[in-house]
Amino acid sequence: MAETSFWTGSEKYLCDPALAQAFHMARTLGMPLLIEGEPGTGKTELPIHYANDRGLDLEVFPVGSKSNVEQFVARFDHVKYLRDSQIEILNAQREEKGLESKLTTGGRNPESLKDYVVKGPATIAYEKPNSVLLIDEIDKAPREFPNDLLYALSHRKFIMPESGEVVEVSEKDMPAIVITSNREQELPTAFKGRCIYHYIDFPGKETMEKIIEKHHPALDEKVVRAAMDVFYNLRRLGLERAPTTREILNWLKYMSEVAPEEAIKKINGLQGIGVLIKTQNDMEKVNRMIGADDSFYGSNLN
Amino acid sequence: MFSSLPEHFRAYGLKADVRTLLLLRKAMQKELVKTLGDIHNVLKGIIVKEPTDIGPFTKAYYAYFLHIPIEPGQTLEDAILRSETFAKWKTQFLDEADRDYDDEELVNTFLDEVHLTSYDIKEIINGKEIWDQDNPDLEDSDTAMNDQDTERRDLTKMADYSDLSLEELLERMEKVRQQQKTRHEGGSHWIGTGGISPYGHGGAAKNGIRVGGQGGGKMARKVMGDEHYFPIDRDALLNDNNVDAALASIKGVIQESAFEKLDVPKTIKSGIKRGGLFIPELTSEKNEELKVIVLIDNGGYSMAPYVRSVQNLFRKMKTRFAHDLETYYFHNTIYDRVYTDERRTKSITIDQLLMHSKDYRIFFIGDAAMAPYEMDSLSIRTLKSIINKFKKTVWLNPEPLKYWPYTYTIQVVQQIIPMYPLTPAGIERAVVAMNKKRSEGS
Repeated sequence: MAETSFWTGSEKYLCDPALAQAFHMARTLGMPLLIEGEPGTGKTELPIHYANDRGLDLEVFPVGSKSNVEQFVARFDHVKYLRDSQIEILNAQREEKGLESKLTTGGRNPESLKDYVVKGPATIAYEKPNSVLLIDEIDKAPREFPNDLLYALSHRKFIMPESGEVVEVSEKDMPAIVITSNREQELPTAFKGRCIYHYIDFPGKETMEKIIEKHHPALDEKVVRAAMDVFYNLRRLGLERAPTTREILNWLKYMSEVAPEEAIKKINGLQGIGVLIKTQNDMEKVNRMIGADDSFYGSNLN
Repeated sequence: MFSSLPEHFRAYGLKADVRTLLLLRKAMQKELVKTLGDIHNVLKGIIVKEPTDIGPFTKAYYAYFLHIPIEPGQTLEDAILRSETFAKWKTQFLDEADRDYDDEELVNTFLDEVHLTSYDIKEIINGKEIWDQDNPDLEDSDTAMNDQDTERRDLTKMADYSDLSLEELLERMEKVRQQQKTRHEGGSHWIGTGGISPYGHGGAAKNGIRVGGQGGGKMARKVMGDEHYFPIDRDALLNDNNVDAALASIKGVIQESAFEKLDVPKTIKSGIKRGGLFIPELTSEKNEELKVIVLIDNGGYSMAPYVRSVQNLFRKMKTRFAHDLETYYFHNTIYDRVYTDERRTKSITIDQLLMHSKDYRIFFIGDAAMAPYEMDSLSIRTLKSIINKFKKTVWLNPEPLKYWPYTYTIQVVQQIIPMYPLTPAGIERAVVAMNKKRSEGS
């Protein structure tokens, strides 16, 4: 029986109630959960922390621009198969010539096709009831990848290439599947239709405080507040690439190494702001803003 | 049951069909649905497929389940305050309230009740008794029920009806939903009286179920505070506010991807050279680059308001994707040349335009409204030559869709080039059409 109890986050991970509910719903219905939202809002963290917290096996499939369903499910290693069959011939020839030494096929037998099936994360997860499968950044995949997944997701069944072996999972043993997307491209409607959808909103100040608390529990409250002020001000500027949760956490990590007073000074002096600002244009914009502020108040962003 | 639900939600531009109902049913079977708030969350997970769906979904949901219509431009708070459902609920709520509430508090409490989910509930009592007492055909008999209902209504209570069969539940819910609308019915079937139970008078569940947990209240408040619940109107004409939404869909114009594949001839050739020892050689198929030409009608009054936002849109596109993007201008229609600058002083001939590789995708942007004689045979020939040459061509028209049938030249152009409204939704459809593999022709 798959794990379907309600999970609200762990010590390290603050799970938004709405997300927790969507995740629970997806697991209960045996459907994948598709999470979208700005980068750095903890989409990928969800399954990782869930698996960690519950002690479940996690399979990860990081999607790239060349990902295909073969890598995800299973592929047949033609190269090895060819190599081994050539080695068999070679060994036979050597034997004929009376040579003792043989080349090894590493325990694989060209007669048994399933020795050459390389299982991908999906198959591994399907074979282990109760596991967690993360398909990360599916929007990076070629257009046909999500469409190719449809069959697997709706039939809960994979057929191994060449060997014809069938890997099947019952609805109640479905692994918890989490799919993340940064919306860099629109996913096919049919694909979305097979998922429970959740959009992660960017955390408000209150939530952000809690998130920071989870990651840097020792940090001085004043430092956190000063950093958050700068952070949310930066987000309001309409930068090309607004700073995200991940970035404020990194920034604070850097700040946590110095004394609170000094850290506040550094924060107000926008030191290490390169962690938050990602593009040249944005940096220029921020610099302009600071300049403008200086002339009026003699202060910076705060 | 709820057979009108898909149709209702589709009217809001959402994707809902029989599968939606089947999934909702399955969710009920798995006991995911116990309150009205649960229905909201489950349907949201099933129906909403992108952030821009959340606004229409909220509208559809409030209209369908609570009979609270949200007019364009109205906030949820306003819509609630003006609704009959809320008025009914308020009367009942204030009857039992021990103090005065201002509007904001009332709306908050109302939302808390509407969005209370089963995750907020810790303990549950048997709902079968309540079920038996509760009569869905109840007309205006509040007196009977309220006699004993002296206890403070409390969000922390609700009834569990899991003993009932799914069919019974669904039937009851549907009936209750419809009755919410009728004048004589108190609003309490869905909402009010002690937590919201979709299955009957929640108030009857006063024997107490303790609730704790994460508080439906906060979630409910979020519904109102969240911008995504009222995003840009996707069918409004393109402007600076919704340019990003449109952009999101344009991102859908994608490159065809690369694949690694076994190069058979090369493998054989090199295998023979090795004296029959075949080592597989791999080759990767090349990417097809994304190249776009935008042809903008920037003449005349009708187009003036749109040029800037259109340019803005494509400029943003260019910064985001590294690909070829060329822009040309024309007035009303194209004859033998297009212009390279906005003021239409420098031009290139159509032949030069047609010399671009056929991999370009063409976006026309214009209202296609002109005097009929302007659309002459030369122009038609030019348009045809463009659509024949390039891989994909679409025309985006800022003119509201409803006027299209009355403009002769739009009709003509539409027959030559697939035309879509210049709205985020229209652009999205155009992009989808562009991404479809060409089924016929070259």
